[in-house]
Amino acid sequence: MIKKSLVALGALLVLFPTIAFAEDPSANQLNMGINALWVMLAAILVLLMQGGFILLEAGSTRMKNAGHVAGKTIFTLGLASIVYWAVGYGFAFGGDASDSLNKFIGLGNFFFNPEIASVDNALPSSVFFVFQLAFAAVSLSIAWGGFAERAKLSAYLIFTLFFVSVIYPVIAHWIWGGGWLAKDGAQDFAGSTVVHLTGAIGALAATILLKPRIGKFNKDGSANEILGHNQVFTALAVLILWVGWFGFNAGSTIAIGDGFFGFVAFNTQLGAAAGAVAALLISWLVNGKADITTMLNGALAGLVAITASCAFVDPWAAVVIGLVAGVLVFFSAKFFEKIKVDDPIFALSVHGAAGVWGTLANGLFATEELSQKVGIGKAGLFEGGGWGQLWVQFESVVVCGAFAFVASFIVLWVVKKAIGFRVTEEQEIIGLDLSEHGNYGYPEQMKKAGTSV
Amino acid sequence: MHNPIREKRLLDITEAEDLEQLRSIREREQSRLATELSTSPAYAVMESLNELHDTLITQAIRLAENDLARLGHGAPPVPYTYMLYGSGGRYEQTLYSDQDSGLVYADVSNEVEEERCRIYFPLFAATVVQYLIALGYPPCEGSVIASNPEWCLSLRGWKKKIDSWFAEPSWENVRYLLIAADGRALSGDKVLADKFKDQIYNDMLDRPVIARRLMENTIRHKVLVGVFGQLLTERYGEEAGSLDIKYGAYIPMVNAFRLLAMQAGIRDTSTLSRIEALKQANVLSEDEAMEASDAFVFFLKLRLLATGTHEDGQLIGTGKISSKQLTKEMKIPLKQALKAGAKIQRRVQRELQHRFGGR
Repeated sequence: MIKKSLVALGALLVLFPTIAFAEDPSANQLNMGINALWVMLAAILVLLMQGGFILLEAGSTRMKNAGHVAGKTIFTLGLASIVYWAVGYGFAFGGDASDSLNKFIGLGNFFFNPEIASVDNALPSSVFFVFQLAFAAVSLSIAWGGFAERAKLSAYLIFTLFFVSVIYPVIAHWIWGGGWLAKDGAQDFAGSTVVHLTGAIGALAATILLKPRIGKFNKDGSANEILGHNQVFTALAVLILWVGWFGFNAGSTIAIGDGFFGFVAFNTQLGAAAGAVAALLISWLVNGKADITTMLNGALAGLVAITASCAFVDPWAAVVIGLVAGVLVFFSAKFFEKIKVDDPIFALSVHGAAGVWGTLANGLFATEELSQKVGIGKAGLFEGGGWGQLWVQFESVVVCGAFAFVASFIVLWVVKKAIGFRVTEEQEIIGLDLSEHGNYGYPEQMKKAGTSV
Repeated sequence: MHNPIREKRLLDITEAEDLEQLRSIREREQSRLATELSTSPAYAVMESLNELHDTLITQAIRLAENDLARLGHGAPPVPYTYMLYGSGGRYEQTLYSDQDSGLVYADVSNEVEEERCRIYFPLFAATVVQYLIALGYPPCEGSVIASNPEWCLSLRGWKKKIDSWFAEPSWENVRYLLIAADGRALSGDKVLADKFKDQIYNDMLDRPVIARRLMENTIRHKVLVGVFGQLLTERYGEEAGSLDIKYGAYIPMVNAFRLLAMQAGIRDTSTLSRIEALKQANVLSEDEAMEASDAFVFFLKLRLLATGTHEDGQLIGTGKISSKQLTKEMKIPLKQALKAGAKIQRRVQRELQHRFGGR
């Protein structure tokens, strides 16, 4: 046996080099290969962020819904991939539309059929597709925050169809696909607006239409704290998302190039760190207790905010952006609770409020040098660029937010009227694990505890 | 100081023949005192209220003694004293206080008498506790109550117990020491109570390091005022917006001054007299004492205002000031008082940490 293996190995060693070096690759081909590898790695990291969302959402909700919350993320990831392949990618990046139509929507590349290898040593379109798909899926998972613990499984299915085919691709096209905001010079490097705000606005429309969970608010208007069932999951989720974010932001350079992706990653780390620190401190100062949930939200808010600006600002500004995001997320969560909007996973504050802030922050802190390097927009207010860039950023937030809200609201409103959006009171009380799937995610614990968890 | 209402009240109680009468007197007098709160100074109402509780409990004890004798259990075989702990011991009971109590009886010289005591006093204590429940005083949740055999002992038994607390200053034992330090004799032979207290204070002075353990045991309750001077109110639930005046203002002050008093060998149990004695002993300056007692009187008043509910016939206080009661006019002195409370809490911690070294 050993002898045979050695013989085989020896034979391979003799044969393999002669095959591998049969034809030397050109410098361009190597360059393409490295870029493709980097973007593919980034795509894998962004895809892995779904693991973060599974743990974040499951940890922040109750045991009786854990299986549903976790499982539906995988299901919708599957559905989103097919929808994005068939339709979404074509609207976002298709190049067949006339110039005037292309301002608003792309056309072409439906049922996308990529080349099997790189053409002219450009980034393989298959890799680009996988990378873009991972972003769409992240945006979708953010929206689920507003659905948590009370939406019907069928509503998840229908919303996925519309969100991934039209709502998200249209905004992606406006900013990244050569649409009208791209022409205006809107700076959103990796998607504070495109991915995070769009997802958060979907969550907002959902949570408004669904109304708060049973037991969230009392008759007198005071709020109850519905604690998640596993804070360790939530913390681990934040770490997974944080690490995945290097693919999200640094991968958005789409190339190794001169090593600029390193600078983007560097700013990303500073923004996240500042967000975590600021959020813990502000909750400690204001509430008298250092709140773990707030701190975790702060880290995510720092990441969301730096997503738009990571390639446009200096490191000190990345820290400022993160610090502000950490404080903002704390007060934003308080605000939504005050106006009686139930936001179980804090999607509105983490991705919405911080997404808006991150996008606007470019209008304040973007430097001339970096804007030129990326080739989009110009310097912000504090960097001598005047109000122009801030206005463009503001415009992109308002327009994208409004579009995402109206579109999501219409889809979900029709769902509500046609088939019903929310599970029955009884189903909500026994939990979606049982009502939607027939089994508990935690069978032992749940059967012991009865139906009241 | 002729006060006809007060004299009538006390006379009514001492003449009451049964628990029903006592209960109706309690209800009548408490609602009278509750209305007085808006017109009279808080400490005066507090004083009257505690006198009312003392007289009611004393009368319940007398009734229990009589009833046991009538049932053939005889009179108490040896002198005893019925002790109050907690807010009762500190003379700071509210309208809704529960029972924290214990019993100390004299040492005996022979087995026969000892046996009689072991039969009589648990029965007696259980009867008193039952009577007080009938008057609407809920039993202590932590079982610091005379009907618990651990808190109904001879003087010798107490000596052994207190020694064991000092010998093994675990979290639980330190908590008992803190409770015992607030002990006050209500009725019976008060010399026994003094001897009981000797046990604590003599050992305290012998073992100064115990003070740090005492502090660590009470450090948990922080004054509910934030760094910006904001009130740290409840954030969630039906009581959202309310302030936990009991654990966020009153208890931290009680803890701080109990600790300072125990350190200085001051045996008073009420917080205000502890502050006064600390001033006499030059532990507190004139200004500090003034600031502290003003703040404390304010907390006492709020504690009296705190919402309470009836639960199975027992009067139960939540110890919280509701958001409706927290008016703008009240918030200003409240914040001021809380800041004073936070200051004294910090001072006690710093002093003890300084003296015995940090962890």
